[in-house]
Amino acid sequence: MKISCNWLQSYVDLAGIADDEISRAITFLGFEVEQVIRTGAPKLDNVFVGEVLTRDKHPNADKLSVCTVDVGPVQGVKRIVCGAQNYTVGDRVPIALVGAVLPGNFVIKEAKVRGEASSGMMCSAKELAIAEDATGLLILTARPAAGTPINDVLPAGDVVFDIEITPNRPDALSHIGVARELAAWFKKDLSYPSVSFTPAAIVANPRIDLLKSVRVDAASDCPLYTATVVTGVKVGPSPDWMQQRLSAVGLRPINNVVDIGNYVMLEYGQPVHAFDFWKLAGAEIIVRHAAEGEKIVTLDNKERTLSAGMLVIADAQKPVVIAGIMGSADSGVSSDTIDLVLEVAYFKRQSVRATSKRLGLASDSSYRYERGVDVHSLDEAAHRFIDLILAHAGGQVAGPIHRVGADIPWQREITVTPAYINEKLGFEIPAADQRTALESLELGVVREEPTENRGPAWTFSIPSWRDDLDRPIDLVEEVVRLYGTEKIPASVITAPGLVGNDDPIVIFNRAVSAALVGQGFNECVNYTLRPAKELAAWATPAAVADLALANPFVEDQSHLRPTLVSGLLESLKLNQSRGVAASRLFETGRVFIERNGQLSECVAAAFVMAEETGERNWRTRESADFYAAKRHTATIGSFAGIELERQPTALVAAPALGWQEGHAATAGNLQHGWTSTFGLVSLAHLKALGIAGKVYAGFFAIVSEKVTADADRRSYKPFGLQPAALRDLALIVPEATASSEVQKALTKVARAAVGNAFALEAVNVFDVYQGKGLPEGAKSLAFSLVFRSSDRTLTDDEVNVIFTKIQDELLKTTPYQIRK
Amino acid sequence: MQDQLSALLAKAAAEFPAIAARSDFEAAKARYVGPHGELTALMKQMGSVPKEQKPVVGKLVNEAKTVLQSHLDAALARIEAAALAAQLGPAVDPTLPSPDRTLGTHHPLTLVREEMTRILRKVGFTVVEGPEVETEYYCFDALNTPADHPARDAQDTFYLPEFARFGNVSKKTPNEKYLLRTHTSSVQIRTMLKGPPPIRIVSPGRAFRRDTTDATHSANFQQIECLYVDKNVTVRDLKALLDYIFVSLLGKDTKTRFRPHYFGYTEPSFEVDLSATHLPKVNKPWIEIGGCGMVDPIVFKDVGYDPEVWSGYAFGMGLERLAMLLYGIDDIRYFYQNDVRFLRQFA
Repeated sequence: MKISCNWLQSYVDLAGIADDEISRAITFLGFEVEQVIRTGAPKLDNVFVGEVLTRDKHPNADKLSVCTVDVGPVQGVKRIVCGAQNYTVGDRVPIALVGAVLPGNFVIKEAKVRGEASSGMMCSAKELAIAEDATGLLILTARPAAGTPINDVLPAGDVVFDIEITPNRPDALSHIGVARELAAWFKKDLSYPSVSFTPAAIVANPRIDLLKSVRVDAASDCPLYTATVVTGVKVGPSPDWMQQRLSAVGLRPINNVVDIGNYVMLEYGQPVHAFDFWKLAGAEIIVRHAAEGEKIVTLDNKERTLSAGMLVIADAQKPVVIAGIMGSADSGVSSDTIDLVLEVAYFKRQSVRATSKRLGLASDSSYRYERGVDVHSLDEAAHRFIDLILAHAGGQVAGPIHRVGADIPWQREITVTPAYINEKLGFEIPAADQRTALESLELGVVREEPTENRGPAWTFSIPSWRDDLDRPIDLVEEVVRLYGTEKIPASVITAPGLVGNDDPIVIFNRAVSAALVGQGFNECVNYTLRPAKELAAWATPAAVADLALANPFVEDQSHLRPTLVSGLLESLKLNQSRGVAASRLFETGRVFIERNGQLSECVAAAFVMAEETGERNWRTRESADFYAAKRHTATIGSFAGIELERQPTALVAAPALGWQEGHAATAGNLQHGWTSTFGLVSLAHLKALGIAGKVYAGFFAIVSEKVTADADRRSYKPFGLQPAALRDLALIVPEATASSEVQKALTKVARAAVGNAFALEAVNVFDVYQGKGLPEGAKSLAFSLVFRSSDRTLTDDEVNVIFTKIQDELLKTTPYQIRK
Repeated sequence: MQDQLSALLAKAAAEFPAIAARSDFEAAKARYVGPHGELTALMKQMGSVPKEQKPVVGKLVNEAKTVLQSHLDAALARIEAAALAAQLGPAVDPTLPSPDRTLGTHHPLTLVREEMTRILRKVGFTVVEGPEVETEYYCFDALNTPADHPARDAQDTFYLPEFARFGNVSKKTPNEKYLLRTHTSSVQIRTMLKGPPPIRIVSPGRAFRRDTTDATHSANFQQIECLYVDKNVTVRDLKALLDYIFVSLLGKDTKTRFRPHYFGYTEPSFEVDLSATHLPKVNKPWIEIGGCGMVDPIVFKDVGYDPEVWSGYAFGMGLERLAMLLYGIDDIRYFYQNDVRFLRQFA
């Protein structure tokens, strides 16, 4: 909200305090100053009022004149060359004499203009920075005496602070409210406007009440309504000082009645409204809820359709104001209005807020109602409204003030000790200073009682406009605010040792990031919210529907993400399209996946590896493949305590969605807490995305509460020091057989054959072959078996016996053949 | 005998230096010292040497053996050296760049978050996590945000549909709506509900507001928040924490100041400004960096802490804003575009 410094001066004496000091005060009182705007004439030295004595055509220039100007008894008569055309001999205009510095750092010097000497400049309004008008000289029609310093003649400049009022301080949405704060800060007195009108002052004659009735049918939303008739007003411009103040804070002057309404609102924070009495059908005012579908054309010339429950001010036929928000276009005051109804009312914030939100219609008035106006200052604002109307629009109050609704009682007290305040602050503010600070905000001490060991206990009465003050802690803030939060003393951190462990999720993310960064991946951060179109490639339509927000803001951020891969592909594409080399990207973050019919928030990590790196190298390195993706995924899983390579792994089932069928696999199942997918991204999908080259990716997700810190300390297992005996065995199996299945069968048979004689230490696949020398549809898997005894070197013979036994047993119990 | 030995050595001296292949060497070696070798044959004749000549002849044979061995050793060493040399290509050009990929990079937001948590760790704050999908209770009610507060509007907060069900985001009351948390303060509530004070936590994470994305706003952003609950925690302690954090981050001539402000869940509340000498692209004496305050007694009451006994402070700020200040980044969207030229600048 904009606050005019000149306006503030009506309530608090700020003379002699620099603008910057005021701005700082407002800031440290808790209102952020967003902008400081300076208006009006700046301080101008050596610029005076002068009267044009003669005006002659310049001998060498058609458009110039040579003038003599009387600049008063002290400065005397000056000869000045001037290019303006809008003045005549006898006019009084601003004269900048030699030595004057005009805005824009324009220094006036003795000069020759086309050969004619000129000792000054006759000025336009623009040259004095008081208006945009540059068409001619500023003619001083009031004819101030020649030689008067120009600042004595021009409207004083103003400084306007655009400040942010926090929602807890509706009282500060007014000049009196801000003045009160500044008075407290600068330790000055606050003077309220003198209001002379009282209901008792209404004269008996003429006491004609034009209003037939004022009725409130919706008291729950309008607890107090007042309406006063003023007859015989003359609508015209409002006084200059009022126009200046309103203009300074950004309101366009309209006419005296409208301007006075705005002025009272910005002075007290209480919105008011003036009707043209003769536009009220039936001479009635009814405060009621709108009927569903009722229509009103508001002041901004838009037709609004109301719904039931919206509060309106109506006449006998139709709504004329949307209560607290905006009046209708045709009930307003116009130039021929002579009789007014002045409304000052209290509408509930919830009601105004709901209606304003529903209609998408807000105003200075609704803003104040929504935040809460002080019903206890309502009468004072109403009387001020009447005062100003009578003073500046004439007329007289006709009839009593219609006042519908009960007085709302206000009494609030807070008891606090200075010791309590100092304890909360952690430093000492003397008791007397605390009390002065609170009293300067018009909190009065109504009782003072001694306590046993905590000094006096003060009971403060809280003014009605400070509904935000309710508890002793609230007064701590008031005290420290006025003490100056800049002065809070420095200190060192004192805190008892309290060291827990970081959340396992944090530890997981750190480990994943460190490992993948070590593998050359760049960490990315993508938005959690994704477009439905993007997710269609990664989840079934039903799953996508479950991820939708109720109220997305933009179409491309409408759904929660079930995967991190789609975001990484987007990042990859961005880099490719910008011609930036990027091949390995990863992200850690939350995803949302269906589990047992509900969504689960999961901790996840994913990476992509693009074949097309976007850069050429003098030596080519082998590019990533499925098994690289599998390894990285397994690494990620290991940080969540999952041994992925020991888990059942299968090709992704149809529909493979974003993954390439036959070239991507899954391990884990979210039903058991975690899931993973890794391998080749669907080539068709990559093509649709416009990504060049193959992309391998991996994705690991674990339900957030299943991420646990690995607390078990491992125990040492002895390992054999004797030499190992190695045997290789190649098995011919159908090509669709999973190697893990063959390995499992072989390991089982080998274990049984070895028995307790010695140990089977490892069974590793070391070759996969398909082709010449093998039957159609078969493949050979070669395994290396490692045997070792803990206490002796194994002899060939004893190993051969076991090896033969293994082969015999395999042929007997499995369909596999042994490749010789 | 002596002549024979001399002839044999002369032949070996001529033959071995010419051998290049290991197999030729082995064959040659066999011809001299193998079971049927020439030297072996001569040594076999030792039996027929008269007894009195044996010491002399034996000495000759041994000398010949030593000389022959030196031929063998020299040849073998040469052949092996040649074999090793054959494994090498020409000398490398050490000025060519390594074709291997460089280390990856941590995202700048991660770097700043980790730096903050390290700084806070030193004074006893541990990192906690909480769900991004929250309920109205944890995000608003428990933080003293009234039911009709504008922040709760569907205009400002993302909601999930009524039918949405989350298996692992607990609700306080059955009729609450799910939403995307608008701040990470919800984690403070979940932490306080889990156990009694004292508590000293830092909660970094994503937050969401229905906001137009531009150079300084993002609907999806990250916050970092601290909460400390103990006995006799004061405003001065809060100021000490802020001073400590920013001096640690930006150097010892960094200053912070408080301005009174309003937050529903702290009283008194402050905005925090900082002033530092070495920030890039900053031309204001004070920069607003976050909000803080003393935990409002209402919040304590709601989580079952006795506000007469416990007191505490909370501080929060936007991670992007901090990273932008620290690195001199002028557009928040860069954090979410992942242009590798951007990502590589901070590691």
